Amino acid sequence: MTKNSCDVLLDYFNDQLTCEERKEFEAHLQICKDCQDELKELQELTADLPYSSEPIEPSAGMRERVLSNVLQAENSDMAMEGTEAEKNKTSNERVTEIIPGKKVNKWYKPLVAAVLVLSLIGNGAAIIYINQDEDVADSGSETIRDTIQRMEELQPSEGVSAQATAMMIEQNKNTNLVVQASDLPPLEGEETYQVWVVEDGKPYRAGTFVPNNNGLGAVSYVINYEGNHKWDTIAITKEPTANSKTPQGNILLSSPL
Amino acid sequence: MREHDLDLYRRIEAQDENALELLYDRYEKLLFSFAFRMTNNKFLSEEVVQEVFTKLWTKKGMYDESKGKFSSWLLTITRNTSIDLLRKKKETPYELEERDALLDERPSTEEVVEWKESSERICTAVKELTSEQQEIIELFYFKGMSQSKIATTCNIPLGTVKGRVRLALKHLREKLSNVQERGVRE
Repeated sequence: MTKNSCDVLLDYFNDQLTCEERKEFEAHLQICKDCQDELKELQELTADLPYSSEPIEPSAGMRERVLSNVLQAENSDMAMEGTEAEKNKTSNERVTEIIPGKKVNKWYKPLVAAVLVLSLIGNGAAIIYINQDEDVADSGSETIRDTIQRMEELQPSEGVSAQATAMMIEQNKNTNLVVQASDLPPLEGEETYQVWVVEDGKPYRAGTFVPNNNGLGAVSYVINYEGNHKWDTIAITKEPTANSKTPQGNILLSSPL
Repeated sequence: MREHDLDLYRRIEAQDENALELLYDRYEKLLFSFAFRMTNNKFLSEEVVQEVFTKLWTKKGMYDESKGKFSSWLLTITRNTSIDLLRKKKETPYELEERDALLDERPSTEEVVEWKESSERICTAVKELTSEQQEIIELFYFKGMSQSKIATTCNIPLGTVKGRVRLALKHLREKLSNVQERGVRE
């Protein structure tokens, strides 16, 4: 024991100790009356402080998201293992530069757009198991039997001037999502643009990319999530790193599917 | 008649989804507001609330009456979870802004913990402290800083941090009882 154990009481209270230090202190706490009293006093003196928080309204849709995620939490142990695979996957995705395609039919529905904005909020600690073993880069060799299922022009959010087109191409029973975008605001540091497909308010990763100096960017992604999915929305957000499991940034572009 | 928190908690331990929802509705706003006070980020705050309720739902035997009042205990868990998530997410400074502006429709039948009055009362008391004392409470309690970080931030000797925190909290307690005696004007 290097320093006087009583000295770390505050750090114990603030959960700032390493696991080892914490165990050490807890052992000390058992036998030190002073620390027991001080800790109790600290708890009493701070008990009112949470109530000084200004009341704010919870985010829209939060109740449903949180409760459904909590109820699903029992199955989350297995899902956790997907995280590493997902990170590795991200680094395999290619960033390509494509000339923006010509405009396709508009699907703009302001109300729907408002709803999907809500649907992408937060999602808390939603854990998504990624079953992604396709090599995206290989998909180009399958051109002959590919059929375009649909093509959507994404709508920019207010104040955003970027444009993007999404194509869903059927490929060996999988759906290959090709997104190309232009006029994208430049990124900083580790930021990336992330494509999401959304089902019932739950976003799934669908490609990560960074634009070139001219603001052009594109990504091809094989959507291969286990189970049946009916995607209702596609959206692009700006993310702080390439590893976001759920959207952290604002939606730049989106379209109902 | 309001069902006791403890009864709800027992039912949650027995995997009663209805009890989970009742307790959630009762505490959602308080925990969310407190988490927002700690993290200043609505996205993280939602994650905090979710993690707190996930713990309640999945870990049995977390709470018993020896741990004090249920609400105080729940707020402690919320604070620790906030500190923990803040530590993990230092690299994500993003704030969801306007998307959160829309209000949710929610059941309003069940009673909700309201604390607007105590919020005003405590804020009044806090404002009566010296700015140094206000700062040290902010750094210690709401930012959850370590003693050494507080010492560096406030430029005070490490050995004096504990004493100052205690003194500031004790002063707050005194001011609070003064405010209480004076009463709060609505």
